[in-house]
Amino acid sequence: MDEKLKKMAIENSDSIVQLWMQEINSLKLDNYTASISDELFESTNRQFVNVIFTSLKNAGSPKAVEEFSEKIINLGWPLSYITDGLQVFRRVTVDYILSQYEQLDSAFISNVLKSVDTWVEPLIRQLVNEYSGSWENTVSLQRVALQELSAPLIPVMDGITIMPLIGTVDTDRAKLIMENLLDGAIKHNSEVVLIDITGVPVVDTMVAHHIIQAAEAVRLIGATCILVGIRPEIAQTIVNLGIDLSKFPTKSSLKKGFRTALELTDRQIVDLGNRADSIEQMIQSLKGE
Amino acid sequence: MKPQSCVNIKKEWDIVGARQLGRDIAREIGFGTVDQARIATTISELARNIYLYAEHGQICFEVIDTFEQKGLCIIAIDIGPGIEDVGQVLEDGYSTSGGLGAGLPGVKRLMDEFDLQSEVGKGTRVKAIKWLR
Amino acid sequence: MRIPILKLHNYLLISIQTEIDDQTAIQFQEDLLDKIHKNGSTGVVIDLTSVDIIDSFIAKVLGDVVTMSDLMGAKVVLTGIQPAVAVTLIDLGIHLKNVPTALNLEQGLIKLYQDSGE
Repeated sequence: MDEKLKKMAIENSDSIVQLWMQEINSLKLDNYTASISDELFESTNRQFVNVIFTSLKNAGSPKAVEEFSEKIINLGWPLSYITDGLQVFRRVTVDYILSQYEQLDSAFISNVLKSVDTWVEPLIRQLVNEYSGSWENTVSLQRVALQELSAPLIPVMDGITIMPLIGTVDTDRAKLIMENLLDGAIKHNSEVVLIDITGVPVVDTMVAHHIIQAAEAVRLIGATCILVGIRPEIAQTIVNLGIDLSKFPTKSSLKKGFRTALELTDRQIVDLGNRADSIEQMIQSLKGE
Repeated sequence: MKPQSCVNIKKEWDIVGARQLGRDIAREIGFGTVDQARIATTISELARNIYLYAEHGQICFEVIDTFEQKGLCIIAIDIGPGIEDVGQVLEDGYSTSGGLGAGLPGVKRLMDEFDLQSEVGKGTRVKAIKWLR
Repeated sequence: MRIPILKLHNYLLISIQTEIDDQTAIQFQEDLLDKIHKNGSTGVVIDLTSVDIIDSFIAKVLGDVVTMSDLMGAKVVLTGIQPAVAVTLIDLGIHLKNVPTALNLEQGLIKLYQDSGE
C-alpha cells in the first residue's frame, strides 16, 4: 500500500510540484519572504522540492538534506519557511492522491494520511535539528566571546597589570572578575593591579561590594589594588549609599592611578626633555643668523 | 542521584580526611579550583563543629545529577547538644569556642544553598549544596 | 608532625608544604614563638604557596601568630596565598586586615627589609 502510494507520488511528481509551487508562492505574498528576489525564491523552492523527492525515492539521503538546510541557514531564512514548505507538501500530496481515486472510504483516507506523514516526518525532524543545532552553536560561541570580553587582564609593564571593566557587573561576572584578577596577578607577578571602572555605567551597593571583595582578595595574595576611573556621578552614588571605600586607594583616572602604581613599584616617569631642548637650539640657531 | 558516601568524624585528623575526600569528589564532578577550595573549606568548618561540640558525627556527600543541574550536596549530622539559638550562630562574629565566629555564616556564603536544623539535646543537621555553574 | 622553621640572619623562613591539621597549627605557633625568642629575630616570612585550604581555624591561628610575633618585635609577612584560598577567605568573611602580605618569598623578604629600614 505504502509502496504503491509512493510510486504514484513519484511518478506524478510534476503535477505535485506544480501544485506545491502555487501554494508556496501564495504564502510568499503575505509572509516572511517578501523581501527576497523572485529568482532566488524560485530556485530555492526548486531545490527544496528536489530534496523532498530525492529523500522520498531512496528513503532518506541525509547529504542532500544537510546541504539544503545549510543553504537556508546561510541565507538567514526563517525556520517557518521549511516547516511551511513541508506542511504544504503534505497537504498537496494527500489532495493529489485522493483526487486520483473515485471511490473513497475512511480507512483508505487514513492510510494515505499515515503514509504521507511517514514520508515527511523524518525530513521535518532532520531539518529542524540542523536549524536548532546552528542556533545553539551561535549562542554558545557568543557566550564564549562574551566571557572573554568580560574580564580582560592587561600586563602593561613588569609588576603592573590593568583590568578595564566595561558594562554591567552582575554576581556571575563578579566571580569571574575576581578569579581572573587573582590568577592574572600571580601569573604576571604583579605587585599592583589597577581596576578601571570608567566603563561601568552603574555602581550600586552590590557592584561596590564585589569590587571591594576583589580588592581585599588581591591584598591577601600579596598585591595592591587601586580602583581607578571614578567619575563624579559614581563618587556621588558611592557616598550617598554609604559605601566605605577608604580602605584601599582610589583615583579618578587611569592616568593618575598608573602614576601611583609606578610610585609603589619605585619607579617614575622621566621627561627626557629632548623636544624642548631642540626647539631652544633651533631658536638659538635662528638668532645666530 | 548517586549513592552517598560518608565519613565519620571522631578524631581531629578526621577533619583533614573528610575535606580531602570532599575535594576529590568535587574535582571529579568538574568543579574549578576556587570552588574546590570553597567546598573543602565548608567541609572543614562543618567537621570542626562536629568535633568541637558534638564529639562525633558524620559528614556525607551526595552527588546531585539531574536533568537541569549538577552539584554536590554536603550533609553534616551529629547527635550532640544541639544549638539553642539558631539565628545567633548564623550571625557574623558569634563564637563560643574563641574562634573567629566565621564558621557557619561563612559556610552560608561559600555555598549556594544552606539549611540548618537543630534540636536542643538531640543534635544538629546541616545541609549545604554547591551547584556546578 | 612539625613544620620546619629555617633561620636566615635576622629572619625566620617557613614554607608550609603539608595539609595542616589543628594540632600541627598550634604546635607551629609555639615553635615559632620559641624560635623568635631564642634568636631575637626581627622578621618572619610564612610562605603558603603549597597550601590549598585555609579554614577559619587555621586563619585564626595565622592571624594570632602575626599579632603575637608583633608583640615580640618580629614582623610577619604571609606570602604566596593562592587565588582559590584568597577567594574562600573573603567568602568566609576573614579579611586578615592587619596581616602584611606579599606575592612570593622574595618580595616578602624585600618588604621586611624595607620596613625595618624605615
